[in-house]
Amino acid sequence: MPYELIDHTADMGIRVSAPSMEGLFEEAAYALADILGGRDGEGLQEVMVESQGIDRVDLLVRWLQEILYLIEVKGFRLRAATIQGLTETLALGVLQGAYTAEPLTTEIKAVTYHNLDITYIDNVFAVTIILDR
Amino acid sequence: MIALKTRRIDPFRIEIERSGAMRTTGLVYANHAIELTLEHDEVLQQVANVAMLPGIIGPSLAMPDIHVGYGFPIGGVAAFSKEDGIISPGGVGYDINCGVCCMLTGLRIDQVRPRVEKLLASLFNNVPSGVGSSNKGMAVGGKEFRQVLEKGAIWTAKKGYVPHDGLDAHEDGGCIEGANPDAVSDRAIERGRPQLGTLGSGNHFLELDVVDLIIDSEKAKRFGLFEGQVVVQVHTGSRGLGHQVCDDYVHDMVAASSRHDISLPDRQLACAPVMSKEGRAYFGAMACAANFAFANRALITFLIRGTFEQVFGGSFERLGMHLLYDCCHNIAKMERIMWKGSQTEVCIHRKGATRSLPPDDKRLPQRFRKTGQPVLVPGDMGRMSFILAGAKGSSETFFSACHGAGRLLSRHEAKKRSKGRQILEELLRKDIHVMAASRATLAEEIPEAYKDVSDVVDTITGAGIATAVARLIPFALVKG
Repeated sequence: MPYELIDHTADMGIRVSAPSMEGLFEEAAYALADILGGRDGEGLQEVMVESQGIDRVDLLVRWLQEILYLIEVKGFRLRAATIQGLTETLALGVLQGAYTAEPLTTEIKAVTYHNLDITYIDNVFAVTIILDR
Repeated sequence: MIALKTRRIDPFRIEIERSGAMRTTGLVYANHAIELTLEHDEVLQQVANVAMLPGIIGPSLAMPDIHVGYGFPIGGVAAFSKEDGIISPGGVGYDINCGVCCMLTGLRIDQVRPRVEKLLASLFNNVPSGVGSSNKGMAVGGKEFRQVLEKGAIWTAKKGYVPHDGLDAHEDGGCIEGANPDAVSDRAIERGRPQLGTLGSGNHFLELDVVDLIIDSEKAKRFGLFEGQVVVQVHTGSRGLGHQVCDDYVHDMVAASSRHDISLPDRQLACAPVMSKEGRAYFGAMACAANFAFANRALITFLIRGTFEQVFGGSFERLGMHLLYDCCHNIAKMERIMWKGSQTEVCIHRKGATRSLPPDDKRLPQRFRKTGQPVLVPGDMGRMSFILAGAKGSSETFFSACHGAGRLLSRHEAKKRSKGRQILEELLRKDIHVMAASRATLAEEIPEAYKDVSDVVDTITGAGIATAVARLIPFALVKG
């Protein structure tokens, strides 16, 4: 699993890494869905997601917030996330999965900006994200 | 990040000296036992970060249940000038008006103990809890929902869910003025509307306690407390509605901070001037979420009263059930304080802190004028809670006090420590019955995940912010 849980007293941290920025956005989506209990192995329904931010950090938070909304409120369960276009301020993605009425295992209130910083070291993009439980 | 210098002022206070971009000092309420819990935390840096925000009045404060949050620390209190200060959604948090209420009963523990399993099962059944819980029976239409957002607990009284004469037992009468439903997004309403009358998950709970020790008999009598009495505590907030309101406005404030040339040590502290267009819009939406939370807790007390009536027979009045107090933990409010000899209007942020008004404060209803405001301090599910009363010393914290025990372990660490253990059985051996919607949540909420609440109370009473009235011991819980 290309993410790890990070200790954070009040909430929950995840550390995600990927060889590309697009991959980082996709892996962060999988990590979030995984924690929520919002993965699905077979669904083929597609949802387009378009997120805008004032910069890359803001964009990543907004991308994840959109996925959180789809999973928590709309009952979407994620099989695959693909970034089709990515700039500093715009992310276009396609999510594949299925809708369900089954409950999630974990409640996440929000994706926070707290100390969020995307790094690129030794050809690897990485980010630590604090989720509000 | 700056190197922070701290110095102990007295047995209950530690000062963080002003340095770097700090506009003021930090003041942490901590006895020596609490101080030990701060050692390996970035929490002091978070107190210092708040001290860097524009228009802060007095020190950046931290209550003894302080622990690391995101942006503001949990347990943080800060007052900002209405004229040149800021308002920050991150300074309130995602669970807007997460709070606690305490309902008294006239029942003694020996009357309840023989029926505890039936009572707990009925409460678990009647009060929706757990991840994503909803309550179809209490769902209301769009027009009615606006009333919930505008009126809070007053709406629940109008609809007959709670007695009108109990409204003054809510902070601010159960309704924050200035709510503007037009400032709440459709998405926030979509997330919140099905969740009215639900407990939720995480650290939210419904707990039955017995009054185990009366510490101040005069105030206890005025509060209606007696030894052996059964009381009910409920901890929950504004559910998905508050989460979305905060989320919407943190995003807006990230851009607004830049427009208003506010330098942020952490983007989660994104803010805008109190009276700016962005600041006023956030306040209007936040007040709606706060009112939703007041209504939510009031509806849960309705469900609890109905459950007691089912199990014990007779009316809730005959069972002696009434609200002692209901207060906010995560809120920004416009309040008047004395500052440098004159009345000043400030925007107080309490994030994981509660209001604590002293005796004779005119904001209190008559019945609390002699005692001070009831300050509810729930502990972890295996040890104890306290009921305090606001004291004169609370003027130095802008009338704020601790809101609970405060987390000590991360949820991840708590889960690791509970691996292989039978938490329910451990608690049952202490005569504490628990029903939980999720075993994973229960593992995260083990008693040792929290500070010892008696250390927190020792600090807050030692500092003169509140006085101890009674101690409560849990005997049955619903965990979300």
